[in-house]
Amino acid sequence: MFAINPTDPAPIWRQIEEGIRRLIALGALQPGASVPSVRDLAKDLRVNPNTVARAYQRLTEGGVLSVKRGEGTYVADQPSQPRKSERNEALRDAATRYASTAIAVGSALVDAVDELEAAFPRVVREHRRKV
Amino acid sequence: MTDNAIRISDLTVRYGRTIAVDRVALSVDRGAVYALVGRNGAGKSSLVRCLLGQQKPESGETMLFGEDAWSRRAALMQRIGVVTEEADAPPEMSVASIARFCSRLYDKWDQSSVEARLKTFGVPLASRFGSLSKGQKKQVSLALALAIAPDLLVLDDPTLGLDVVARKSLFEEVIGDLADRDTTIFITTHDLAGVETFADRVGMMENGRLVLDEEVDALKSRFRRIRFAAQPVAIDTAVLRTTVVRSWGGGAEAIVSNYDDRAFERMRGTSDIGAAEVEAMSLEEIFIAIAGGKS
Repeated sequence: MFAINPTDPAPIWRQIEEGIRRLIALGALQPGASVPSVRDLAKDLRVNPNTVARAYQRLTEGGVLSVKRGEGTYVADQPSQPRKSERNEALRDAATRYASTAIAVGSALVDAVDELEAAFPRVVREHRRKV
Repeated sequence: MTDNAIRISDLTVRYGRTIAVDRVALSVDRGAVYALVGRNGAGKSSLVRCLLGQQKPESGETMLFGEDAWSRRAALMQRIGVVTEEADAPPEMSVASIARFCSRLYDKWDQSSVEARLKTFGVPLASRFGSLSKGQKKQVSLALALAIAPDLLVLDDPTLGLDVVARKSLFEEVIGDLADRDTTIFITTHDLAGVETFADRVGMMENGRLVLDEEVDALKSRFRRIRFAAQPVAIDTAVLRTTVVRSWGGGAEAIVSNYDDRAFERMRGTSDIGAAEVEAMSLEEIFIAIAGGKS
């Protein structure tokens, strides 16, 4: 599904939350599709089940996932998108990190933008391929 | 009732004139995973012996579920699963007879869980213990430890000497058990990469002292490596505490132990820092920085 990066500054529960949101945004997880159980995803990612449970709980509260008692966890029929302010904040954080890397390696703005433009379709393609 | 599975206070262990454990205090919540790291001889094994009621401390106490580990050992061992560093049993005994022997020591014993786990691990019940690989011995040891559905699982350097595949299967089984029941796990290890994604809290021992005891998320959020493109580095140490600073190419590298995005951006805006790259660090890198920063 996705991998956990221990040197990602984002805590693991947020990486899981973002990973699920990304799979939904890319259509790899369709509305109504079941998501792995906490136990299976924890084993798969080799993380603490409580961490997966925390991510699932946040996604459920945010209207992205829905829990059917005794049946498991599903993508909500109309999974909510992050609010615009949240989205902008996430982008700004990531952009700051990307910009510092670009500056550190001595890249010009135009080259950094080119790389980003190439990365966007590549990420989409890679996720589609995994489905 | 107490919410702590483990509560160690002011624990000191002495062998003759050597102090193995020096006034250690730590607590582990029920259902949490605690990883204890430190170099060989740091005192981890002595602390584990106290935890298992095998060592009477010189002072202080080790409470498990509100009961004293030393004086209530027999009763507590019914609730504690242990995987030791060197999984050991008579080499000529079969895995089945070892399981039968162990089952008599405990009030509750789930033989079908032992068989199911060994099947998952691919270890036949009929195999002689002496013929098993190191990884298989650990797997047998884990299957036996989990047969009593322990409230506390103590893993003493469980992945030492195991290959990648054996490590993975061992961790998967432990994670599965964590998900099924609210087991508390205390693990000593050298394999930080193995535990960093599933430990809630880490402790680090050095010369008998517990020099660090913190939530993994908190630890990882406050440590950063900052690479500066140029020297000298105009870092305001009153704002960012640097553990290690060293030259790196034409620039310098600093390990910051109280990193905060906003403070750094403010500093970037007011002083002449120049180009700098901020990187999060793995648990292993953080521990090396802590150990290196002291010596």
